[in-house]
Amino acid sequence: MTGDPRPLEQPTLTDNYLTYTRGFLSWALTLDHKRIGLMYLCSVLLAFLLGGIFALLVRTQLLVPEGLIMDQDDYNQAFTLHGGIMVFLVIIPSTPAALGNFVLPIMLGAKDVAFPRLNLMSYYLWVIGAIFMVYSIFGGGLDTGWTFYTPYSIDQNSAMGGVIPAVTGAFILGFSSIFTGMNFIVTIHRLRPKGMTWFRMPLFLWSIYATAVIQVLATPVLGITLALLAVERAFGIGIFDPTLGGDPVLYQHFFWFYSHPAVYIMILPAMGIVSELIAVHSHRHIFGYSFIAWSSVAIAMFSFIVWGHHMFTSGQSPLVNVVFSFITFSVAIPSAVKVFNWLATMYKGAISWNTPMLYGMGFIFLFVIGGLTGLYLGTLSTDIHLHDTYFVVAHFHYVMMGSALIGFIGGLHHWWPKMIGKMYNENAGRVAFVLFFIGYNMTFFTQFMLGSHGMPRRYATYPADAGFQMYHIISTIGSYMMAIAFFMMAAYFISSIFGGRRAAANPWGGRSLEWQCTSPPPHDNFSEQPEVGDCYDFSVLRWDEATQGYVWREDVDRPGEKSHA
Amino acid sequence: MSIFGFLATVKLGEATSGGGFWMPEGASTVAAEVDEVFYFINNINYFFFALCTFVLVYFAIKYRLKPNHHSGFSHDAPTHNTPLELTWSIVPLFLVGVMFWLGMDGYLRLNESPEDAYPVSVTGQKWSWTFQHPEYGVTEAGELTVPLGRPVRLLMTSSDVLHSLFIPAFRVKNDVVPGRYSSLWFEATRPGQYRLYCSEYCGKDHSKMLAVVNVLPEEEFQAQLGKLAREYEDIEDRDLPVYALTRLYNRCASCHSLDGKSGTGPSFKGLWERTKNGTTAFTDGSTLADYMRPGGEFEVPENYIRDSILNPQHYIVQNYLGAMPTFKGQLKERQIDALVLMIKNMDRLVDEQGNPIESPDLGDADISTGAGQ
Repeated sequence: MTGDPRPLEQPTLTDNYLTYTRGFLSWALTLDHKRIGLMYLCSVLLAFLLGGIFALLVRTQLLVPEGLIMDQDDYNQAFTLHGGIMVFLVIIPSTPAALGNFVLPIMLGAKDVAFPRLNLMSYYLWVIGAIFMVYSIFGGGLDTGWTFYTPYSIDQNSAMGGVIPAVTGAFILGFSSIFTGMNFIVTIHRLRPKGMTWFRMPLFLWSIYATAVIQVLATPVLGITLALLAVERAFGIGIFDPTLGGDPVLYQHFFWFYSHPAVYIMILPAMGIVSELIAVHSHRHIFGYSFIAWSSVAIAMFSFIVWGHHMFTSGQSPLVNVVFSFITFSVAIPSAVKVFNWLATMYKGAISWNTPMLYGMGFIFLFVIGGLTGLYLGTLSTDIHLHDTYFVVAHFHYVMMGSALIGFIGGLHHWWPKMIGKMYNENAGRVAFVLFFIGYNMTFFTQFMLGSHGMPRRYATYPADAGFQMYHIISTIGSYMMAIAFFMMAAYFISSIFGGRRAAANPWGGRSLEWQCTSPPPHDNFSEQPEVGDCYDFSVLRWDEATQGYVWREDVDRPGEKSHA
Repeated sequence: MSIFGFLATVKLGEATSGGGFWMPEGASTVAAEVDEVFYFINNINYFFFALCTFVLVYFAIKYRLKPNHHSGFSHDAPTHNTPLELTWSIVPLFLVGVMFWLGMDGYLRLNESPEDAYPVSVTGQKWSWTFQHPEYGVTEAGELTVPLGRPVRLLMTSSDVLHSLFIPAFRVKNDVVPGRYSSLWFEATRPGQYRLYCSEYCGKDHSKMLAVVNVLPEEEFQAQLGKLAREYEDIEDRDLPVYALTRLYNRCASCHSLDGKSGTGPSFKGLWERTKNGTTAFTDGSTLADYMRPGGEFEVPENYIRDSILNPQHYIVQNYLGAMPTFKGQLKERQIDALVLMIKNMDRLVDEQGNPIESPDLGDADISTGAGQ
């Protein structure tokens, strides 16, 4: 007999989560984690477009020393909104809320997350928060920087009037994040399938779990801080305002107590995605599984005790600076361990050079630069020089955009066939990646030199004779290349929906459970809860030319089945 | 140009404070030390960057999926190797330990200013710097004159929001915080002029909050400070408007234009006419004329200018936000006089476009400040 004795259920477009029910309300009131994930995805990408437009405005302004297109007030709003939108509306929800929502329950072989109604509520909280955030543009403008530093932000004569709507927005977004985190923690604890012990979970789940813990523990601090800020601005109660006996630096401690862990809310899920991308597309068992899993947990724990490294020049005591510098270096180790493990995973692999893998490898390259340049900033004496310059801007873009966002985009390419059921144009994907990758390095590598030569952050204009302009020009050209790459991505993703080839259940050769249901998955994901084995053992799969996907080898048993007859 | 093009131009281990690809030319004693730590980290980073990139590219090519080999993936490749994993955890741990130590050591020295440092008091306010030399009784704005080869200690505070004083050539930076003092010190090693930036975002004209550090050899320094100390005392009353325009106006310039354009504050052009005629309207609906009646607060109109400098939140001109900080305590009486006279004679000092007129004719200028009336 030829063919698979246990053929995978072939997708029929009339029976999947996209077509299960119809009508606007069937989406707006859906409790299906896949639909909620897709709604998050669309919303986050819309916010990304908005944040990207502000980024391009900022870059265009800096083409010439005196500023090309905006006055100071407009520029200050542009970089504030770029930062605020990208952090609160894009990167933080991107991987956990959009991709995590879609993938996590399926990876667990579950029908949904533990609390589907809470999940829908998280989404609507995100929408309300986003409306407040965007409203701040019209409700007086927002020019504080995404950090809302006091006393500038609480001074009616300084900051524009949009501070209270913006912090209200961030406050509400915080609840969205907390609820998502709680939901995922409970889901991972309670809904793991038979055979999936903690150390058999796909590494993406470990990283989402570590992220969720940070979301639940750190975000309330941001909420309280922003509530205090709003009360201080409205009523002048004297917590942060030095003229009323308050301490403006206290705000920085509160803010970074959340916002440093938030950096790991952004990067950890991306690391999880990359662990999947590298293993699946190298068709090779992940190297050092437990080191990677534990390093996610270690990073999550360390992330709470390093916030002071954002404040080396703030006037906190030298002893405190020394302690924070010391702890900061300890975070470097788990990050380095992950990189070495990913590289080792490629050793003796069978590496497909398809788009998701290119993003996986691009991630490693950019994260190495982002991580290594962090060392200058953790080192006290060099940080004094580099703090609040473009060096810091370049460093955190390498981590936030070059790593966190690239991980998200890589994951989007990886799971797109599963989400939509169609394949995008692979060659267009590769071209867009190359364009993005070159543009990215032009944009941000130049900013390291700008910073080390003394160009401060958040400058609408700069001295003409300081030698900064050439770097700014290269940087701006790079940003346009990235913009073109993103529009290409949008084009081939959208055209794949209408004209793309039908995606097989397992187009890449993944072993985790989401590749065992059809593309796109049925409403209930699985008719019965599957059992799992080693989700990184790819030797059990073979390529099936007919479906253009990977199928289970006929001569190997599936987990939970009696030995092959 | 790609990243590789940039890297090709990099000199490895350039541990001098000369101007380089990575660091600008240093001009202080600590700059050389900071750069040494920077280049130490740099060399380690080059190594790990090259290693990771090489391994990444090499594996990606060597182990790429061969065409038509989509099946039969082996499950034999090692999935962990404890000695290897411990090695790549412990070696970086040791290296970052060294980095931490070097950085801490340099930082602590950066922090301890020598006992005999030359003191300067610094005030940051939106959006200008004021430097006071207590030993000479001199106040400078926009320019900080310091001696060569002598430690200088800046004692800094802010009169409004956070600022941060940053001199790249000296590799020093510290935040300037309202309601408390912060300090930094440096010892300049080369005479010349160096840029000083505000590096903590402080609002609209943050990017204009610049100054110049002027490092002079000891003798020139003393001569210069001596000159500055006498500057406004020796000046003839008739020369005060020009003195104000050339020496004091730079602190007003980020908000008050000379050509009639509205900035953060009203333009100085025509300001005196509006004042004299009492036509200036305030946010509370009153006009200046309401306070100029006999016995009123501004019966003498010059007092309105004076009040606006010392107590700017008192009356806020319509259509403006009242963003101005007070200059109380930062200007000597005679300097306030000079500013009042400058504003009164503005149309003689600058042309229609707001450009200063060379050797303006102040022969019949009104040089009364209203103080005697």
